[in-house]
Amino acid sequence: MAHDIHEHEHYHPPGLQHQFDDMGQQAESDSIGMWMFLVQEIMFFGGLFTVYLVFRSKYPMAFAAGSNHLNEWLGMANTLILIVSSLTMALAVHYAQLGKRNLQVILIILTMLFGMAFLGVKAYEYAEKYNDGIVPVTGLNARTPKNIIPLDERYSVNPESLHGNSLPFPGDVVNSPAVPEENDTAHEGGHAEEEYINPRGDFIWKDTSLADKAFAEGYLTDNEKIGYMKNGEINQAMFQDKVRIFFWIYFAMTALHALHMIIGLGIMLWLLWRAYRGAFVPEYYAPVEMAGLYWHFVDIVWIFLFPLLYLLGRHFLHGGGH
Amino acid sequence: MAEYKNTEDHEDHDLSHEHHIVAIPLYLLVFGILVVGTILTSIVARFDLDFIFAGANTLLALLIAFTKMTFVALIFMHVRWSSRLIWLTALAGFFWLAIMFAFTMQDYLTRTPGVFNR
Amino acid sequence: MENVNALNVGNINPEPKVNYLTNGTTARSWLLTKDHKRIAVLYLLTVSAFFAMGGVYASLIRLELLTPASDLLESGTYNRVFTQHGILMVFFFLIPSIPAILGNFLIPIMIGAKDLAFPRINLLSWYLYMAGGGLTLFALMQGGIDTGWTFYTPYSTTFSNSYVMLVGLGIFINGFSSILTGLNFIVTVHTMRAPGMTWFRLPLFVWAHYATSLVMILGTPVIAITILLMALERLAHVGIFDPAIGGDPILFQHLFWFYSHPAVYIMVLPGMGVISELISNFSRKKIFGYEFIAFSSIAIAVFGFLVWGHHLFVSGQSIYAGLVFSFLSMVVAIPSAIKVFNWTATLYKGQISYDTPMLYGLFYIGLFLIGGLTGLFLGAIGLDVHLTDTYFVVAHFHYVMVGGSVLAYLGGLHYWWSKITGKMYSEFWSKISAMLVFVGFNLTFFPQFILGYMGMPRRYASYPPEFQVLNIFSTAGASILAIGLIMPLIYFTYSIFFGEKAPANPWLLPGLEWRTSSPPPTENFEETPVVYWEAYDFSEESGLDLEDARNKYKVTV
Repeated sequence: MAHDIHEHEHYHPPGLQHQFDDMGQQAESDSIGMWMFLVQEIMFFGGLFTVYLVFRSKYPMAFAAGSNHLNEWLGMANTLILIVSSLTMALAVHYAQLGKRNLQVILIILTMLFGMAFLGVKAYEYAEKYNDGIVPVTGLNARTPKNIIPLDERYSVNPESLHGNSLPFPGDVVNSPAVPEENDTAHEGGHAEEEYINPRGDFIWKDTSLADKAFAEGYLTDNEKIGYMKNGEINQAMFQDKVRIFFWIYFAMTALHALHMIIGLGIMLWLLWRAYRGAFVPEYYAPVEMAGLYWHFVDIVWIFLFPLLYLLGRHFLHGGGH
Repeated sequence: MAEYKNTEDHEDHDLSHEHHIVAIPLYLLVFGILVVGTILTSIVARFDLDFIFAGANTLLALLIAFTKMTFVALIFMHVRWSSRLIWLTALAGFFWLAIMFAFTMQDYLTRTPGVFNR
Repeated sequence: MENVNALNVGNINPEPKVNYLTNGTTARSWLLTKDHKRIAVLYLLTVSAFFAMGGVYASLIRLELLTPASDLLESGTYNRVFTQHGILMVFFFLIPSIPAILGNFLIPIMIGAKDLAFPRINLLSWYLYMAGGGLTLFALMQGGIDTGWTFYTPYSTTFSNSYVMLVGLGIFINGFSSILTGLNFIVTVHTMRAPGMTWFRLPLFVWAHYATSLVMILGTPVIAITILLMALERLAHVGIFDPAIGGDPILFQHLFWFYSHPAVYIMVLPGMGVISELISNFSRKKIFGYEFIAFSSIAIAVFGFLVWGHHLFVSGQSIYAGLVFSFLSMVVAIPSAIKVFNWTATLYKGQISYDTPMLYGLFYIGLFLIGGLTGLFLGAIGLDVHLTDTYFVVAHFHYVMVGGSVLAYLGGLHYWWSKITGKMYSEFWSKISAMLVFVGFNLTFFPQFILGYMGMPRRYASYPPEFQVLNIFSTAGASILAIGLIMPLIYFTYSIFFGEKAPANPWLLPGLEWRTSSPPPTENFEETPVVYWEAYDFSEESGLDLEDARNKYKVTV
């Protein structure tokens, strides 16, 4: 084997680092290293998925209520955008393997554009949540949620279809003082005293219809009864706390995912610059391949986030009960 | 002098050196599967499948997600043509995730007081 | 095979003109180095500093506990002192000590590589360690943290007024240092082995580090996300860990211990690797049951992930989960026991020489045995109800962490000191110091088993007067231990300036690290070595000059 080593002292391939004997060894190291990194990423996201799992199994109805409020179409659009960007990334690796510079550059640019489109949609969704007053952190919500359809009318079960006493707005609303029962007046904007509907920027969730329905039809779990009910009926404030946990998990997971996207875009920018300079040739294209692995991984995370966050309670809206 | 016996690890290097170049139609096929999967998961979420068993919707959504993930990993991420070590690494990630889920949930799912009294 | 002769131990390469220590002397050449050996030295300096700081806190704890009343430190201060002792020792000393110093220095040499697979990432991980450590120190100077090193919620998220965020951020960053080190080791072991260095010719030190790296990669990200969640919860008070509004504090404990129990194996496994080296080499005998020791490391790494719930026995976890975790905790003892049996079997009919590293090795076996067996007491769910949060627990994990990790670290440092610095330390003083450490350690922590059994709770500044006698013993032992730990600092420093120059292979051992000069050149070997001998091969096959070895041991023994 010793003569192998001598051989490479004369010819130094592009991108070969001093600690390696040959490109094969380097490529293998890069690939194992990247996969190890992805495994740690799996575990990193895994912590959040565990939190999701625990709370969803504890409070399924609160999670369904929160989930139904998310904009399914935007979520689906984002899923498709990410899938397209994954395809363009895979093709970028393909053309790097073949050493076609121009196609590489074009595909990397396309990947970045789709990535940015994803982030744009995400930002729009976050803004919606801000205006709806359902960002789970006090103070990070619009004080005056104007132009916004009242929460109860969106994606909620029709109150008439439920048993009586379906929308209890008890007087003991804990965390949200001064919330008028009718938001409609705010839309007209004429009354100064109603300018601040949500003066502290609290998280507000008034729609308890899903929990009411589950209670009426008898499939509320014991944990949920403890979690939502006070004096034998569903308590809006208590239910609101649990929905807030859903939105907290939604924001934590999507924000961490978006952060990975932003880092990915940074990597792409560097890749673009190097690809433009023609750094990647068929013998050496490891950076494109590694960036591709990362990008696909981020895509996979979203493939799970989409059904788990956006779709999980959808069927309660269409189902005929139990 | 004693023989230097084992050459297998260097063969490993040589194997991985030849990178598989995937044909573009295969990429497009996978892309098609992913799009169909996305639309499918969105459609089935509208039907209440709880009449089959509780949580059938979630299970189906996860099955579709797993399928999509498998295609992304195998084709886009080239696991299909990678060494056994890469296969093992990818599987280990999910195995450990499963440990975390299962061993955390074994607490939460058995927390009802009186599990042993019934 | 032309370099076989060059590798012959009696006939080693002529001293290279430039070794890794003299290859560049500017601060820049050290701070921007990509040489794994220099990074190891950087780690050695900084980790030692953190060890010393942790030691100062330990002394404060022991001084406070000399008397039953809380007279030296008031309770609030005492909380900060033991918390900071724990955080510094666990996150900034025990976890990086053996892997980042000895592992970093030795793994590439032991497998015959020029460097780790990713030298720049290796440097980055030192900087991350420094950034995390720096933030933590800054927090300590600002007023410190009092949550206990475990950051249990809701105390850490809601009630504590100390610098939880800053320390949390420090540990978050430090975690990535650990992940990157583990990643580097795994890739290096897979791809960088010299020709002929098959998996089963790897020294067990490398196997142990491979297993450790698995734990680092699979576990550490979970503590990162957990600390992040804890910090966000502290900022936003959404209540995922707050039972009053539907959250669950035990979820934090699950996530925390998912990492922190395997982290115990991050601390212990590398130590076991060092001990395997010491026991085999100083018995001049091939280690007994090589494969069993190698695979028991992997088994510990895997089973270590299945037992975290034994930290939650009294926390409100379900009894069913408690039973499962209790059973699995018994199971994880098996691979550890396999190692201890194999080490003792290696000693049998070995040609044992009691050099300082071997003293540490032998002490380790005894102390680890006690630490491990008392772990079984605590893993038994019924007994644990009585012993939870008493000094029994404190004594148990100090027997494992100090009796295990620290002793192995010291043993390893003595063993490879000549390789790292090229100088010999004083054998006389190092033996005295090893004895003092052993005696002092036992005197410190054995009484704590009795105290804990009698019911003295941990984490209090004051205690009932009837516990005082044993506490005085403990503090006296701690003083001896402190002297034993300060001595190496002196004679090691002395050896760097005035020590005898070390030969390439002072103990005539077969490992690859002894077949390069002391200190090694920057790329470790003049030529990539070709390995044709098994690990711990003391026969002629290894190319060792047996005659020479026999002569040496006639003189020393």
